[in-house]
Amino acid sequence: MSVARLKSVPPPEAGDGPFYVAAAKIYPREIGGRFTRLRRAAVVVLLGLFYGVAWLEWDAHQAVLFDLPARKFHLFALTLWPQDFLYLALLLILAALSLFFFTALAGRLWCGYACPQTVWTELFVWIEQWTEGTRSRRMKLDRGPWTAEKVLRKSLKQVLWVALAAWTGFTFVGYFTPIRSLGGDLAHLSLGPWSSFWIVLYGLATYGNAGFLREQVCKYMCPYARFQSAMFDKDTLVISYDPARGEPRGPRRRGTPARAAGLGDCIDCTLCVQVCPTGIDIRKGLQYECIACGACIDACDDVMDKMASPRGLIRYTTEHAVQGEATHLVRPRMLVYGALLAAGSVALVYSLFTRVPLILDVIRDRNSLYREVRGDRIENAYSLKVINLDDRPHSYSLVASGMRGLELAAPLAPITVPAGSVSNIPARLDVAAPQAGGVHSISLTLTALDAPGIRVRETSRFVGPAP
Amino acid sequence: MATSASPEPARRIRAIDFALVLWPSFLAACAASVLFFAAVDPAMLRDAGPHLFAGLDREAGYALGFLFFWGVGALASTVSIYLIRTERGGGRADPPGAA
Ligand code: SF4
Ligand code: SF4
Repeated sequence: MSVARLKSVPPPEAGDGPFYVAAAKIYPREIGGRFTRLRRAAVVVLLGLFYGVAWLEWDAHQAVLFDLPARKFHLFALTLWPQDFLYLALLLILAALSLFFFTALAGRLWCGYACPQTVWTELFVWIEQWTEGTRSRRMKLDRGPWTAEKVLRKSLKQVLWVALAAWTGFTFVGYFTPIRSLGGDLAHLSLGPWSSFWIVLYGLATYGNAGFLREQVCKYMCPYARFQSAMFDKDTLVISYDPARGEPRGPRRRGTPARAAGLGDCIDCTLCVQVCPTGIDIRKGLQYECIACGACIDACDDVMDKMASPRGLIRYTTEHAVQGEATHLVRPRMLVYGALLAAGSVALVYSLFTRVPLILDVIRDRNSLYREVRGDRIENAYSLKVINLDDRPHSYSLVASGMRGLELAAPLAPITVPAGSVSNIPARLDVAAPQAGGVHSISLTLTALDAPGIRVRETSRFVGPAP
Repeated sequence: MATSASPEPARRIRAIDFALVLWPSFLAACAASVLFFAAVDPAMLRDAGPHLFAGLDREAGYALGFLFFWGVGALASTVSIYLIRTERGGGRADPPGAA
């Protein structure tokens, strides 16, 4: 075995297989700086929105609510029904396109600032730092014996984590069932079985992903982490170490001019490694574990300030820039992603603004082609499906046109359809026999009586005896 | 041949395997549930479906549908992992003839 076996071991990330979860626990070191502030701001804004928006009201209903029990989706003034699925699909496509666009532009912005995994992990780490202290204290605490203080700190952390996870699960479910009544049920301990189930499931997922798995989600579970490099090119902004400037690395006394000592600017303090939430060494080059959080930039900038060297030994840069070539912001990839994104956004906005909250389906009666009725007239039967997509009931008038002398025999009264409902209505049209010969194309127009803007037209056929 | 005394590391079940099975199938189940329930109202299954679904309310319908998709996805992921891990020469086992 030996050599062949060793050689058959695939790349390192799979090679350390058996150590996957036993992998050394990572204790990210606390750090301040530009990117850290930016990330904190992102966490506060995004989580603030998540926990807060659920409680907003709009027109006597929850402002943002995927009301699953009622099968409708409230988005402020807009109410969408399952029939409006197209908008959701379009929205998802747009989300994917913007992910491509921003990844090509500036790498893993999503991972560093917006991914729920990052955002909740950050929150959980704050709690950990608050209860267990700084990185070195946490490591000492974990190594040390189970003293009363350790038990206290660890249990406080767990209590806070569990409470936060439960609140997260509750809020999440509150986007699918009205959160205020959900809160009432919770207060009276009368939650329905399924609501409880979802709250527990989502709470467990939050706890597991943000408290326990953390960077392992990014390393082993996230598909985006693996394919994002396909959107990269040599002009994509990435976080990288400048080896030309940094090497040869090595410790030196403060104030020693690097070049004089035959050294580069990297003093090998390993702070960039200690702050990294995924525990990698950015100096080894771009690695797929790097979530582009910028913590190593902040750490290294600090060190450079102390050493009185210019900042930016680790910085946002492009492969072209590192090689001393020009970086191109505008390039075919950006134009294609950008154009698709713009077109998709325009389509979404246009279709939302021109959306008519009414659908009419006209189906000809399959049982008979036509019928002769009293007064020497020819009659055709249809069945209409009227879907009212508005969030209030409407009455509609029906008008038939497209043939001389065409008359509506039924329904004669306006058609009333409750909000968000479907009505199936039989309809009959007739025309004087002499005019009826052959196949005619006709149309039916439905107009809301109280809102003439809500109007749809559908075409169908009228069949008479062969001429 | 790969018949050495040491256990096949590739066949050992590791903690991360649970994540590798449950996570992709969870994502797939989310997508499948959205698509499926946009078109199908669980109340319709109750009213028009087989007797099995009688007494199913919407909330239960959504939850059971989601769990069903998740289960199917997890089954597929499990089989995939199993096949990759036990493939001779590919995956992480020894290539044929390596000894
Ligand atoms: S790697 Fe995946 S899970 Fe991790 S931050 Fe990026 S998108 Fe989120
Ligand atoms: S290498 Fe730097 S940017 Fe990348 S994850 Fe680690 S600390 Fe964040």
